[in-house]
Amino acid sequence: MTLSTMIGAWIAVFLTLSIFSYLYKDNPFYKIAEHVFVGVSAAYVAAISFWTQIYPNLLGRLFPKDGPLSFTGLEFDFNHSFNILYIFPLLLGLMMILSVFQKFNWMARWGIAYTVAIAAGLKAFGYLNSNVLNQVSASVVSLFGENLPFFNISGDSVFNNIVLLLGTISSLMYFYFSKEQRGNFGKLTRVGIYFLMISFGASFGFAVMGRISLLVGRFRELIAYSEPSYNYSTIWLLFLIIAFLFYHSIREKESNT
Amino acid sequence: MILKRYIPIAIVAIFGSLTLSAWFIDNETIETFANDDATQFFDIIAAFAVFLGALNLLKLQFIKFIKKQKGWQYSAISIISFFFAFTIGFFIRGAYFVEDKVFFTEEAALESLITVDISKGQQEPSYKVQENSFKDISDAKNFAIKQNLITPVDWGAHVQKNGSLFQWMFKYIFSPLSATMFALLAFFVASASFRAFRARNFEASLLLLAGIIIMIGRVPAGGLISSWMVMYLIVLVSGLYIHYLKKKNNVTIIFTLAGFILVTIAGMITGWPLDKPSIFYLPLLQEWIYLVPNAAGSTAILMGIGLGIVVTSLRYIFGLEKSYLGE
Amino acid sequence: MMIRKLENLIIKVGDVDRRVIFVLIGLAVLIPLLTPVSLPIRETPTTVKFYEGIEEIPKGSKVLVSFDYGPSTRPEIHPMNVAVLRHMLRNEHKVYISCLWPDGIYMALDALEDISDEFSLKEYEDYVLLGYRPGAEAVIKGLASDLRKVYTVDANGKFIDDIEMMDNVKNLNDFAYIYSGSAGYPGTFEWVKYGGDPTGVRMSSGTTSVQVNEVIPYVRSGQLIGLLAGMPGAAEYEKLVESPGIAIKGMAAQSFAHIVIVVFIIFGNIAFFLKQKKERKYSK
Repeated sequence: MTLSTMIGAWIAVFLTLSIFSYLYKDNPFYKIAEHVFVGVSAAYVAAISFWTQIYPNLLGRLFPKDGPLSFTGLEFDFNHSFNILYIFPLLLGLMMILSVFQKFNWMARWGIAYTVAIAAGLKAFGYLNSNVLNQVSASVVSLFGENLPFFNISGDSVFNNIVLLLGTISSLMYFYFSKEQRGNFGKLTRVGIYFLMISFGASFGFAVMGRISLLVGRFRELIAYSEPSYNYSTIWLLFLIIAFLFYHSIREKESNT
Repeated sequence: MILKRYIPIAIVAIFGSLTLSAWFIDNETIETFANDDATQFFDIIAAFAVFLGALNLLKLQFIKFIKKQKGWQYSAISIISFFFAFTIGFFIRGAYFVEDKVFFTEEAALESLITVDISKGQQEPSYKVQENSFKDISDAKNFAIKQNLITPVDWGAHVQKNGSLFQWMFKYIFSPLSATMFALLAFFVASASFRAFRARNFEASLLLLAGIIIMIGRVPAGGLISSWMVMYLIVLVSGLYIHYLKKKNNVTIIFTLAGFILVTIAGMITGWPLDKPSIFYLPLLQEWIYLVPNAAGSTAILMGIGLGIVVTSLRYIFGLEKSYLGE
Repeated sequence: MMIRKLENLIIKVGDVDRRVIFVLIGLAVLIPLLTPVSLPIRETPTTVKFYEGIEEIPKGSKVLVSFDYGPSTRPEIHPMNVAVLRHMLRNEHKVYISCLWPDGIYMALDALEDISDEFSLKEYEDYVLLGYRPGAEAVIKGLASDLRKVYTVDANGKFIDDIEMMDNVKNLNDFAYIYSGSAGYPGTFEWVKYGGDPTGVRMSSGTTSVQVNEVIPYVRSGQLIGLLAGMPGAAEYEKLVESPGIAIKGMAAQSFAHIVIVVFIIFGNIAFFLKQKKERKYSK
């Protein structure tokens, strides 16, 4: 094992345990890890965004090899040809960065406006097509279909089709707020609520499932790092952190009394 | 006013309608621009926005540090971590390849190339690079460099390649932090379900029941629970419910006993198959809940969200919604 | 008298410090990981459909695999993506890898490393690593129209035009299948809306458990061909492709923790009702 792997493993274990120490209570270990996370991730994402987008796709288009701006000495060869239009995102981008100064605060608005515009243009159609039209057409099924059994727990059946139809319509009706939900309409939306509740319940079940999976992943890594080849890093660091927190809480109690 | 208000609104109106119309209009210029360049602009501006975010974060942390506000020591940690990662991202790529092997520093890469040859009879050791022998180690190094035996990773590729310092930072600092932050929630979900999940009324009971059936039925352990056990459980719970309603001990006992006997007889006749009747077998039951009533609710939610977003997007394009201006 | 005592005990335990619950959950996950038990895995219909969807791709097709997740959800998505790559390479497909998440690239590198020996993988012959581009749905929209505007170089900095495997790949329409291993935004939803639906290319996805419920309408409507749902979904798929991996190994811990949480919920409710009953009695 190389030195860099060993150092890395110990750092990883320390940071992992520091965050888990929050379960005991908020403490300096957690705060350190949290602030390291904030700092590192900001620079991490910035670096990746620069090298994967600004560098090849912006600079590569404004300063291509043998392009008109080659005289500046800047050349980034990504097989792009020169495209003057790309001055526009560069300007909006630089304005965005300048807006970090209070005086130029408004400058970010242009860039934001552009991203809002594209997102709105893409989403207006994307959501209409995929979430509404396609869903409506998929909901149109023949209720009694050919040779469908009345009930089948795992597969299509008349009963399931009816439940699906009733559930979808009644739940949709619940979202319709332009009419007061009373009388027969109220009864229908009531049924809708039941379906939504089942949906939320399932979502809750899945959320628990997901969180537990992530915990399984973390514990597995901690177990791997507690092996002799990593000099028992998990065990040592766990012991150290617990000892420190114990000492800390005793000191706190003493100073309180 | 023009700069701060009208131009942004115009940008949204023009580019929004352009992007939207490209879905429908059969015009090559508009389509090429909207599909290729306009989205590239978006991607580039999004990348600049990341820098703005990082700068704002630094600004806040610096202010906290300089003014010695509460917890300023931690701000210092944030700032140091930022510059540490920034240096690795922009100034030290740290991936030097010697054939398949990769090293953080050029020095380490060089050392891997040079073998020290101490043959008998020789007074001083000689340094070998491939088949060439050198008296002086620096000559050996110069030779290796001149022969291009070491290839540093390209700028830009260093954030997308194994073996670079950036990848080291990702693996041992960024990964454990972000993964543990998420895993921590498992504990809070568990404690919340212990404290807050109450079957206060019919709706809440439905929610709870659906959640429990999904949780148990989805995992392998759920497959081990026989449908007969579930039926006995249902009889028991119904018995308790009847007791709660009638408050008469003999009614409860008769009902529960009758239930148990019925289930037992049915079981004995059918030979206690694990997964029959299938509506009481949790893996099948959860499948049904998931694919039928739950899917109905989810579809309604998906459509509702879809319609909401379509309308909001159009409001943005028509200039009716200006929340992005902070208004 | 006995019952009264028991009721009081339950109410008391119901008020236990949450740190006790934390310890119990921690143990529920840790113990099965230290002492592995294997449990029978049962495939759900959405997983089977997903498997069949991939089987239906003609041998030797071009498939796009997107790594849209990071370390935070790695335990759920990574086993799926490794198994998907295995399945696709076994069927002799050419794999093109894109990433909508910045960390996706490292996830992809790890996944490729996991199976590298098994298939004696060769870059530019078996797979191309296109890499990450920021921009979420705009990236997909760009890919649907012209891949070479989004990617002129791959993750190694090599020109796309110089890669033989990229000949005849102009946009998403040139792929037989799109798969996204997705942990949220951008991911499954964006691929359906701007990739699969507009181009008509068949697609599916593996998602985190949290997302499973949101995407089920797409599965029902056929916009997604089957679905891999969270770590249990990954385990089922590992079983189907007959290469048991870390997802299957994690299922005992997953099961045990679920049972403990369900017991918590039931116990919490019993304590709640007993407490209510007691309070009602005293208020009378």
